[in-house]
Amino acid sequence: MGKRITVPFGSQHVALPEPVRFVFQTENERIVDVEVDVGYVHRGIEKACSTRFKYMQVGYVVARVCGLCAISHTLGYVTAIERLMEVEVPKRALYLRVLVSELDRIHSHLLAMGHTAEVAGYENLFMQTFRYRESVMELLELITGNRVQFDYVCPGGVNRDMTTELEKEIRKKLKELEEKCLWLKDVFENDFSLNLRWKGVGVVTKEMAKEMNVVGPPARAAGLETDVRAEFNYLPFEEVGFKLITRRGGDIYDRNLVRAEEVINSIEMVKNVLDGLPEGEIKVPVKGLPEGETFVRVEAPRGELFYYIKGTKKMVLDRVRIRVPTFANIPVMKKLFIGMDYSDVPATVISFDPCLSCTAR
Amino acid sequence: MKEMLKATIKNLFSKPVTVKYPEEPSPPPIGYRGLIVYDESLCIFCTKCEMVCPPGAIKFTYKDNGKKEFHYNPYLCIYCGECVRACPKPGCLTQVENTAEPAVAQDIPEWNLIERKAEESKRKFLAERAKRKK
Repeated sequence: MGKRITVPFGSQHVALPEPVRFVFQTENERIVDVEVDVGYVHRGIEKACSTRFKYMQVGYVVARVCGLCAISHTLGYVTAIERLMEVEVPKRALYLRVLVSELDRIHSHLLAMGHTAEVAGYENLFMQTFRYRESVMELLELITGNRVQFDYVCPGGVNRDMTTELEKEIRKKLKELEEKCLWLKDVFENDFSLNLRWKGVGVVTKEMAKEMNVVGPPARAAGLETDVRAEFNYLPFEEVGFKLITRRGGDIYDRNLVRAEEVINSIEMVKNVLDGLPEGEIKVPVKGLPEGETFVRVEAPRGELFYYIKGTKKMVLDRVRIRVPTFANIPVMKKLFIGMDYSDVPATVISFDPCLSCTAR
Repeated sequence: MKEMLKATIKNLFSKPVTVKYPEEPSPPPIGYRGLIVYDESLCIFCTKCEMVCPPGAIKFTYKDNGKKEFHYNPYLCIYCGECVRACPKPGCLTQVENTAEPAVAQDIPEWNLIERKAEESKRKFLAERAKRKK
């Protein structure tokens, strides 16, 4: 008794999709201390943005920060540069941006839900979720022209226009997708074994969430009403039927249900965008050089994404600073682990949906 | 649990959603972003594409008589299509739907050499032009 055992979790682990390292000090399988290391995939993207690339090219560089929230990263940077240079973006472009950013959210949330199911040992559901996710990927491929590197949003508007045939195709696929997602939500809500595994595990209370600045679905699952889409005016989300979704449990089960409900809401928003897509230009030319500094907050699938840029009337920006949602969620994870059983750790980590390529960039 | 069990049994006897790729073709969808095709007869050598290219996959080298030559590295290209949008002559640069074939090092252009040559020849050309102006 009283003998401590060190258990490393990561940087390579079967349950983890990405390299994060936790070193647990355990006493009889109960965790008493934890250390975290997130810097395994550092690529120096911020430095590259402020030395090698011109400000018009940085959008393509930050899209490569992360494959899952590629749209959000570009959107954050592009919004920032547009605010700095006072560019008036056409309405059609804004609506198309809502469309892709919501589709991006759907596929990221489905991935997170699938992975949590996999870690709970539910391989069937994981496969099924990923099967449904594939149709979203196909949609994004049709709209943007690539599966992962979308490169859709650019300073001044968007790169590609929507055609009527494409719209018809999207509507058809969305209808199928909605049925599938409703089915998935039902499974995630009512499945007996998932309820048993997830209810009451890794509970983040509302006070804890507020104190530790939790962002994204974990915060909303704890009952904290935080969503950048409602707080920061960067895209017309109110016009397309955005709903803030919160739950009260704060455990893994509720986090997944928040995701499932957000997927349904996102599908609704995509439909509304297609219904009310205004006519007109999709792009305005951006001229001049950026001067001054600004910051922008964007709701990435995982939570609040923060961009700070500073320019001094040069082609190359002075500073690009990215703060990603996963980084904001690490402190609460650390607090959560103390006193938890080691066997609950993988499920808890994955339920926060950590994205380490964003965090270390 | 019942729902998932039903779906699992159904999946056991239904066709897979995946494509057996090497045997069956897996064509890219319409409008897929692929390689950049260059038409020299239409080019006006404004080098706008070289300036906007994010990874620097397009380079122009300057010959002694002041003419420029277009170089493109399909293995460095990120297929963003920025050069096509920047090109003032429609049809000179176009984006096709297929991507670069897998290749070994020998088939890929020696890009470091071309980059260095492009930079040197550009500097030389500009210096000569400045001398002539004087």
